[in-house]
Amino acid sequence: MTVLLVAGALVWLDMAQRASNPALARAVGPDASAVQNAAGLVEQDRGTIPMPDGMAAAHASNLLAMPANHAAALTAFWFAGDRESAANVQIAASQFDRITQRWTAARLVVDRFAMGEKLGFGLRRLGNPVAWTDGGGRMHLFVVATGWGGWAASRVLHLRQSSADNSLGELMFEPVRVLPLSWLWNTSHLVRNAPIALDDGGMVLPVYFELGIKYPVALRFDRDGAFQGLTRMSQRTHLLQPSLVAQSSQQWLALMRDVRPNGKIAVAQTVDGGRHWADLPDLALDNPDAAVAAIAAGAGNLLLVHNPSVSSRSALDLSRSSDGLQWTRVQALEQGAPPAEFSYPAMAWADGSLWVSYTAGRKRIAWQRFGAKP
Amino acid sequence: MSAQMPSLVNGWLAQALATDSPLLPSHSAMQIWLHLGWSVVLAWLGLRLTARPTTGWAHNKQVQWLVVLGLAAWAWLPGPSGATYWLGLAFQAPSATSVFLCAALLVVRWRAADGANVTPGFSESAPSSRGPALWLSWLAALLGWALLLDSFAALPVQLYAFGFSPAAVFLVAVVGLLPWVFGCYTARDRHLIASGVVLSAALVFVVWRLPTGNVWDAVLDPWLWVALQVYLVRGFFRLATHA
Repeated sequence: MTVLLVAGALVWLDMAQRASNPALARAVGPDASAVQNAAGLVEQDRGTIPMPDGMAAAHASNLLAMPANHAAALTAFWFAGDRESAANVQIAASQFDRITQRWTAARLVVDRFAMGEKLGFGLRRLGNPVAWTDGGGRMHLFVVATGWGGWAASRVLHLRQSSADNSLGELMFEPVRVLPLSWLWNTSHLVRNAPIALDDGGMVLPVYFELGIKYPVALRFDRDGAFQGLTRMSQRTHLLQPSLVAQSSQQWLALMRDVRPNGKIAVAQTVDGGRHWADLPDLALDNPDAAVAAIAAGAGNLLLVHNPSVSSRSALDLSRSSDGLQWTRVQALEQGAPPAEFSYPAMAWADGSLWVSYTAGRKRIAWQRFGAKP
Repeated sequence: MSAQMPSLVNGWLAQALATDSPLLPSHSAMQIWLHLGWSVVLAWLGLRLTARPTTGWAHNKQVQWLVVLGLAAWAWLPGPSGATYWLGLAFQAPSATSVFLCAALLVVRWRAADGANVTPGFSESAPSSRGPALWLSWLAALLGWALLLDSFAALPVQLYAFGFSPAAVFLVAVVGLLPWVFGCYTARDRHLIASGVVLSAALVFVVWRLPTGNVWDAVLDPWLWVALQVYLVRGFFRLATHA
């Protein structure tokens, strides 16, 4: 009896502090500026984003659409340094200015030494960044940060905008925490693709585990960026870097990279806003163990950027689908020959255009802008 | 009224089992815990190593306590010159159970050094008898295996995610109190310490959400799990030898 009383008192104390359970997650539709007829997309502009001074390598870009009243249409984040996993890798950012229609000079916005000092413990290396704007308009950045070991010893570092202004010259971040995702010294989770926005101002962020086996996980956050739990997205153990796309408010697909030889793009689906996930048969699209990016363009209109090969990242395609299962190529974004590499795509809607960014040769972040046919 | 009761109970149960309303510790609480936790663990490690007969310091209490205080202070140094910077990089923060256990063992050694009676059977090397505290160690070892399998997606349930629910706190508290209940009739002090360590960890979790906001991280970390298995294997052979 005493045992139950003491345990009950602890649970009462615990539950008294917690908020009530969140409602089922409901994704918001695509940006109002999304081009509804994805088949009619035409290229408007392309180029490369300026690199920070003295940085030879760039990888893993992520695009964040900015509010309509902001001077910039987009902010791009990526990691830059001497090479991938180099000691001097930091998170770089650039903004696409609405007046000049050009990318600003890049600025380094996250330094592992400064963040380690604020956290109280070291960060060995930095990797993929993913940005999100919360319900209050503050930017959040989720960054891969490794402990002892390689990428498999990664953790997801959650940063929040600490500056009053989010124009690039002012933009600063402070650490919130390393997200608690695993019991095993909190290894080995990484983040790569953009979150899916929810109608309560929160979001669902796709991450993945990659120590030996690979599996995708969905993390939910409220409108302030508070963590609301995690859900495993697949029973399979060879899938990573999920890219989420909403078919309706509660029916979403996760399109994923497959690490197996001769792999295909893999799919998992939820019909209850991410509470439960089920694996679907692989797509017919080849996947050379490479990241993909998906985005919704409207009801029954999904877009995907992927490497259309089983062995090479030298070509990059933009494809569309009405059901997320059958895909048709809209156009080739890049067509090189090995050892050329175009990889780690990201997409966003801004100013009535579809923006695509990707790594070019591990040295630059390339971008393309698409709009509706006039 | 009676019709409302089942829905109230169902609502309360749903809330207790929910894993989607976790509370995570504040930035300042995590910082303090990180340094305090490693400070206590390093202090115990220092005492454990210097007290070994092979070191030659086994009977030199002054050296032992100098090492203990030095290691404890090292954890509080900021930046790369401090131990916490590197231990946190590799292992994050220790569990509350590890910290309280190390603190309890330090106190026991301290009392022993002062000539006071040592708690009977309370040893970090191996269990000396069967009993609830031993079974608690076995349960913790099994929990560690389950959490390890869960990390590699080898379980049909998501055990780590369940650690964000209030129900997991209840489970930890009930299991943690068992040594005290069943130990009333045997060596009471030892079982009180075992229960006290687990309950203190649960209380620290409920009040401050330390170290991560997940109750499994509060009661068991991988190093404690490894140490428990060494302890249990040693105990098994000791009991087998004396059976």
